[in-house]
Amino acid sequence: MPVLTPAKSSWFSGETLWIVLVIVAAYGIVPLAGSDYLLDAVLTPFLALSLAAVGLNVLTGYAGQVSLGSAAFLAVGAYAAYNLHLRVPALPLLIDLVLAGGVAAAIGIVFGLPSLRLRGFYLAVSTLAAQFFVQWALTKFSWFSNDNPSGVIDAPVLSIAGSAFTSAAERYVFSLTIVVVLTLLTLRLLRSQSGRNFIAVRDHEIAAKVIGVPLLRTKLLAFAISSFLIGVAGVLWAFAYLRTVEPAGFNLDRSFQILFIIIIGGLASLRGSFIGAAFIVVFPLLLSRVGAALLGSVFDSGVLEMSQRIVIGALIIVFLIAEPRGLIALWDRAFAAVRPAKRPA
Amino acid sequence: MTAIATGAGAFRLEEIPPRRYADTSAGRRQGALEGDAERTVRPVRPALGLSNISLTFGGVAALREVDLEVAQGEILAVIGPNGAGKSSLLNIVTGLYRPDRGEVWFGEHSFREVPTSKLAALGVARTFQNLALFKGLSVFDNVLMGLAHRVRTGLLRQIVGSPLARRIEAENRAAAEDVIGFLHLTEVRDRLAGTLPYGVQKRVELARALVARPKLLLLDEPFAGVTLTEKRELSQHVRNARDSFGATIVLIEHDIGIVMGLSDRVAVLDYGRKIADGTPDQVSADRAVIDAYLGVTHEDETELAI
Repeated sequence: MPVLTPAKSSWFSGETLWIVLVIVAAYGIVPLAGSDYLLDAVLTPFLALSLAAVGLNVLTGYAGQVSLGSAAFLAVGAYAAYNLHLRVPALPLLIDLVLAGGVAAAIGIVFGLPSLRLRGFYLAVSTLAAQFFVQWALTKFSWFSNDNPSGVIDAPVLSIAGSAFTSAAERYVFSLTIVVVLTLLTLRLLRSQSGRNFIAVRDHEIAAKVIGVPLLRTKLLAFAISSFLIGVAGVLWAFAYLRTVEPAGFNLDRSFQILFIIIIGGLASLRGSFIGAAFIVVFPLLLSRVGAALLGSVFDSGVLEMSQRIVIGALIIVFLIAEPRGLIALWDRAFAAVRPAKRPA
Repeated sequence: MTAIATGAGAFRLEEIPPRRYADTSAGRRQGALEGDAERTVRPVRPALGLSNISLTFGGVAALREVDLEVAQGEILAVIGPNGAGKSSLLNIVTGLYRPDRGEVWFGEHSFREVPTSKLAALGVARTFQNLALFKGLSVFDNVLMGLAHRVRTGLLRQIVGSPLARRIEAENRAAAEDVIGFLHLTEVRDRLAGTLPYGVQKRVELARALVARPKLLLLDEPFAGVTLTEKRELSQHVRNARDSFGATIVLIEHDIGIVMGLSDRVAVLDYGRKIADGTPDQVSADRAVIDAYLGVTHEDETELAI
């Protein structure tokens, strides 16, 4: 768990330096050095999943409200942006993006209402309702997919103020910008009173109530922010990465994938969301390479998928028992061992 | 004592002079046992009043027709054996339990059921018997949470950092720094609260309750499980909260030694009834209290300090 307040609030702390370095590398080096395959099949989905994981982490990691409906909010974001673009062509894409997040936030608030009465496992089950309801509604009412019989939508070209983002590198930069801006805003939010309220509600709800933290507002705010971020991630997933999506793509497996990202990466850690997303994206690729090298043709796609599930399942168990704070805790410990003088923020 | 006096300076007691509290408590000491006769003539409403409070869990009566009044600036200790209803009393005052009968008064306001979410705005703060810190927040952020109700800016203004949001944040941070210095928590300021020793966590919880300078401070076993030295120090802090900004204090405590030295008045609960209410001297001489609690003659049946 992170200390939210940096020890010294000087603007050029070591932490700020790291953030700047990573952003500079992501903009300056990666688009030039990365192949189209790397940008398109690895980094763009990594960014979308990272943003979704940041969103779920706000809700589950920080505010302590378990949700199994993340994929539903990805779908809401994607379909809302598609419909806004289709039906209100005058709106610029960025406005579509923000409004799509807003639609997801509104639906998130509705499905967050049970959190006032339910907690833990029971709340998780009630968020499953969002998962199944949204998928059902998108398939049942063909209006959402502009009367496509199977609910498939084709994403429009990403364009802002006349300049289109079509190549792999351009779509990567588009996603990167959205993710960077929203992550930094989330970081600021978490360090404000609202962010402290999230953790207070997570750690001791009664004490938080006695102190005067508005429980209703705080929980619904967590659901709204989380769903907004996941909704925007859904737009990136549909518009920048896959470009053709169907409701079935946003199934329960996807929700679990995002939950696994934050468990493996680190609950209540924004950096953990990114590390976890990187792991989930890169791991199957590594596994298929290693498997093919070791076992040759026996290691086909079926075996790959099975072994992938087995290994990730085992990892979840290992992490929950041995290191509930996830990869980010290992990272910090390694970092502290290299530079024992300074504690990473 | 000297360390405390210097600490009081850091707590900016100059803002609210310790006006008449000394007189009040002295006055209470004199005629406290005739509480009922006195009530009708007292001009100022008590800081906290409980009238005819009854509470049952299933068929078990936790509290029976309890009346209690705490004057402005008074330190009242509630003692009694385990299960006597002390914590239930505080939970009713903070609205966590709903009494079957009776009313709770905060100054002019009376409640059948106290609205927990408005407590902070009414100037009421409490600590819990078992620690209730936010383990994932630093000590400083925990103390800052004690002022959560003062943050009235919306989300966007907090993110953007509007002048109002920044002013509130700066004021709250300054107040939290003060209390942290006052309670000698500066060294652990940036540690996660959950990683600290028990006694220190107790102090952090007290700091979180004190930071808002509550009018009424409710302490549920604030000294349980801390060392004797820490007890003495903590009890000085409690007294100081009354002396420096006039807080009215209700505390539940098992350690009779501390209670007798610290409080102006002691109320004794036994099986949900108030069996005595008076100055420490009066109460410790009371036959019923000795039988029920102090255990001079029945020591093996009673439960004293943990």
